[in-house]
Amino acid sequence: MISPVKKNLSLNLRVWRQPSADIPGEFRNYQLSDISPDMSFLEMLDILNEQLVESGEEPVAFDHDCREGICGTCGVVINGQAHGPDNETTTCQLHMRRFADGDTIVIEPWRARAFPVLRDLVVDRSAFDRIVQSGGYVSVRTGQAPDGNAILVPSQDQEEAMDAAACIGCGACVAACKNASAMLFTSAKVSHFANLPQGHPERKKRVLAMISQHDEEGFGACTNTYECEAACPAAISVTHIARLNREYMKAMLTSKE
Amino acid sequence: MTALSSSIGRKFVMGLTGLFLCFFLVIHLAGNLLLYVGPEAYDHYAHTLHEQKGFLLFAEVFLFTAFIIHILLAVRLSRDNFAARKVSYAKTSSKKGGRLAASVIAPEVWMFWSGAIVLGFLICHLGDFKFEWWWGNEFASSGSEYHKASIILRDPRVLVVYCIGSVILGVHVSHGLASAFQSLGVNHPKYTPVIHWCSIAFGWIVAIGFASFPIAWALTESAATH
Ligand code: FES
Repeated sequence: MISPVKKNLSLNLRVWRQPSADIPGEFRNYQLSDISPDMSFLEMLDILNEQLVESGEEPVAFDHDCREGICGTCGVVINGQAHGPDNETTTCQLHMRRFADGDTIVIEPWRARAFPVLRDLVVDRSAFDRIVQSGGYVSVRTGQAPDGNAILVPSQDQEEAMDAAACIGCGACVAACKNASAMLFTSAKVSHFANLPQGHPERKKRVLAMISQHDEEGFGACTNTYECEAACPAAISVTHIARLNREYMKAMLTSKE
Repeated sequence: MTALSSSIGRKFVMGLTGLFLCFFLVIHLAGNLLLYVGPEAYDHYAHTLHEQKGFLLFAEVFLFTAFIIHILLAVRLSRDNFAARKVSYAKTSSKKGGRLAASVIAPEVWMFWSGAIVLGFLICHLGDFKFEWWWGNEFASSGSEYHKASIILRDPRVLVVYCIGSVILGVHVSHGLASAFQSLGVNHPKYTPVIHWCSIAFGWIVAIGFASFPIAWALTESAATH
């Protein structure tokens, strides 16, 4: 469908500016005009930065890479919503046609104790890497590539594992959760492997280690509010959190380590 | 004990104790409904229960333990969850669909505070019925449990406190019941929607059920004075 021609937008931006992790930040207001509704949100920020460079101000730092919803690098809170108003959409996939002329847009970084702000809208998400390093892998023999059909996987299990594997690790679940909990992220990783035979040997060790790392990083606990699911650009369902809970308690009660 | 050392373990125990307390609510409400059957039925029930000394002691200790664990975990979890976000957002807005889900009064958003109000209500309630703190003189004349309940239930202060308490309790369990299943790892495309709606229905039953007693007594009272 061709969208009806919409006139260019004038916008008021309220952007979080913070020079570095240890210097307190503040909101600053910027005016933008002549923004095409066909621009993506990040293109709009690019225009803002060009304007800032011209006026001699530091450009706004924000993370981005693929700009097509795959890498999970981008992600800011737009008017109180992680990745903005659309469901199953990353910030880079959001278009300016979702906004009206004259709108004020508040742009903030993910806020969580475990995701310290590095600069402006950029946060340090290495806590996620450490959770994955603690157990989000399978140990395999190196050498030649194994025969693709050596281990048969029932298609339903494979589907569920793939649903979980769709997580792009952007951190929107943490950003949207009132407890800044990373349960949706962690559950996606645990569920991904729990559904596959390759993941079974390290099953108990994995879930215990990942949850202990999750807690250590300072993320909150899940109170089943499900804001994470609504904010997730990859549509990861909270059923994975239930599976994580099952996996964890099973491992906790039966692990011999 | 080791279960309590992690966030998931704590939630698991929270769910278990919560489910047990919901089960207790059902038994409690069923017993109370005998008030509507009449004095004989209620007194008979109360006496039979009070005669089972051993069982009663066991049940009370078990119940008390469940309450204490549930409350301590609530404090611990809320404290951790609060600490997990040091700087709050300038603006927040839900991405969940639905009017109630998106609002700040959605039950799941203020479980700790609804729980705290329920605790206050529980203390008042035990003060009335179990310890008889503020009813000393009125009760002296009668040994009937039904009579005792009638004296308490027709008090206007009781009407206000019990109505508020019951409604907040209903709100608390309407999220709590379904949430307990999720924390225990029970989530299935067939059953989860059923559990969700049962949980909301349970909240309404608890709220209306327990609030109905002081309301019924207030109504008979006002009918009698006219
Ligand atoms: S930039 Fe890669 S997902 Fe947005």
